[in-house]
Amino acid sequence: MNGLEALDLSVLAPLLFVSGGSLLVLLGEVLLSHRATFLGKATSPSWIGTVLSFVSILFLALAFFSAIFPFGEGTTKVFHATSPMLVLDPLANFAIALLTLAGIFVCLMSVTYLAEMDIHHGEYYALLLLATAGMMVLVAATDLMTLFLGIELMSIPIYVMAGFDRKKLRSNESALKYLIVGGFASAILLYGMALLYGATGHTDFTEIRSALASGNPPFAAAGALALFGFALIVVGLAFKVSTVPFHQWTPDVYEGAPTPVAAYMSVCVKAAAFVALLRFLGVTLESFADRLHSLFWILALLTMTVGNVMALIQENVKRMLAYSSIAHAGYLLIALVIGTPEAYSAMLFYLVVYLFMNLGAFGVMAALASRGEEFDTLDQFAGLAKARPALALVMTLFMFALAGIPGTGGFIAKFTLFASAVNAGQVWLVIFAVLNSLVSVFYYLRLPVAMYMKTSARTPARVDLGSGESLVLIACAAAVLFLGFFPSGLDVFFLKSADVLAWTKFAITALVFGAA
Amino acid sequence: MTIEVALFYVFALVAVLGALGLLLNFRNLVAGAICLVATMVSLGAIYVLLGAYFLAAVQIMVYAGAIVVVFLFVIMLLNIRTDVFTPSQQLLFKIFGILIAGFVLFQFLTAIAGGLPAFPTTPDGFGGYRDIAGALFARGDAREGTQVVGDFILPFEIASLLLLAAIVGSVVLAKRRLE
Repeated sequence: MNGLEALDLSVLAPLLFVSGGSLLVLLGEVLLSHRATFLGKATSPSWIGTVLSFVSILFLALAFFSAIFPFGEGTTKVFHATSPMLVLDPLANFAIALLTLAGIFVCLMSVTYLAEMDIHHGEYYALLLLATAGMMVLVAATDLMTLFLGIELMSIPIYVMAGFDRKKLRSNESALKYLIVGGFASAILLYGMALLYGATGHTDFTEIRSALASGNPPFAAAGALALFGFALIVVGLAFKVSTVPFHQWTPDVYEGAPTPVAAYMSVCVKAAAFVALLRFLGVTLESFADRLHSLFWILALLTMTVGNVMALIQENVKRMLAYSSIAHAGYLLIALVIGTPEAYSAMLFYLVVYLFMNLGAFGVMAALASRGEEFDTLDQFAGLAKARPALALVMTLFMFALAGIPGTGGFIAKFTLFASAVNAGQVWLVIFAVLNSLVSVFYYLRLPVAMYMKTSARTPARVDLGSGESLVLIACAAAVLFLGFFPSGLDVFFLKSADVLAWTKFAITALVFGAA
Repeated sequence: MTIEVALFYVFALVAVLGALGLLLNFRNLVAGAICLVATMVSLGAIYVLLGAYFLAAVQIMVYAGAIVVVFLFVIMLLNIRTDVFTPSQQLLFKIFGILIAGFVLFQFLTAIAGGLPAFPTTPDGFGGYRDIAGALFARGDAREGTQVVGDFILPFEIASLLLLAAIVGSVVLAKRRLE
């Protein structure tokens, strides 16, 4: 019998922090809502929500630090010596730090938003923590089983969070659509995993790799079966990162979901699924690198082109950002086409920058929503620079960053990614990507134009800014500028070691690489 | 073709036909659920052919038994349609149901009246309902149990988190009033 002594439980530390936190939040909601006062304070729903959001932030921060410290040491720990299941290597630590940071930002921007929408319930934070736990499993998974469970644990809370505004028809529609499409994607993914298991007899990534590389397949058709399995797994994950042609759900779901949830989906689901794809393909893909290469080439081209072209004609800013997130997924796919360590680290850097600029853009919208009304059409943004100059300014910054204008992190991210593609000889793909970026400038600039050059009789209903929201917006704006000017750190006191580019390179080093 | 292969094809065919029947049955949800039972039972039979007796028993008990019964309850509670069966058909079903229940009751009563049997000396093989668990575990299939808490403890625990998320989520969405 395999004893428990073979297990390294310290691998689970970040996971235990967030899942324990979610249980505490669930319990706290029940305990607090059954008392009229707590520590001399009246327990209104909004007060309880604020307390629980602080509890969630505390646990996310614990998980963040438990990932940051081992990252610096560069150690690799596996959960189980013979069947690893989860691995805590620099890549996983990096991704976990990224995801928990985004989770903290989403909690901060949710407090006032949820109170304004009158849906401030503790379960929201419990689900957010559980989804984050799922993402952690996903980025650390080295086995098809943990990969699948991670995806499901990530998706199920998000289906619910998308429909959290139960009174709104759009929110219901969003949740239902995401549930059905997500279930479909999971089924395809699982089928692919079954075929791959059938072809190799293993669920562990490195075992699959050595089974495929050994050259003596268990039966004649194993190669074809494995290739088909790979393709289906890629399709299943492609639904999650919304690449064309598996993107149809994205605009509807983002538009209907509460704004912080849409922000969380666009940043974290994408980051987690891309890191999982990176690890899965980076480890297992050796025999099939050349065959799946053309598949990714076409997916990348289609995704960025369709995303950008569709974004041009959107009047709703959330829908526009949804199509823009599809386009960004297209740029990120370039890294998977190339498959070199340089490209993978450029992809991680892109994900970091994307976190700050996209959370910032959604954060501005969340900060303007009031009394059950979303603030998400271009008309509403007209003349905003007069009424809310600070918000208009940071929104302009985030739009510039998303468009990739120099001086912002968005430019450095695109530059490193495209440069790695040119170094690998993918010139045509880069030409298409640059043309696409030019197209995207047009729709990103529509928002600043509306805010600064148009006037509107209406002024936004909300005039105050929650402290959590302002913290998120300031942090995101500062990070976007910092990464734009000093991606390799700055020589003043603590910023000296803030070399994000070097971190991303370090995070990739421990991965096993096939052809690269 | 050996008998195992022939049996495999039979059960595989039934499983696929049952799945198709479930898919193509738009009108009558109950008939669809019965098709699902056919698929689940033939999957269980395929597990037996693969030598996974414990899994087969769990498949029959949990999927073909418990889950499909819950499906049927939900269908019948939410979608009460008397027009599916004519009254004379319903009467026929009632008679059949009473007959089957009576037969099972009679079996139980005679078994109890004859005294409870001692455990069989040979634990090998499916001797009958008496020693099913003994038969399963004596064949070395206890390894599934130890694997769940050994090699696969992490997926097992993550699955329990997943169920928690699903329960919390469905309560959040379906609760009548949140305060």
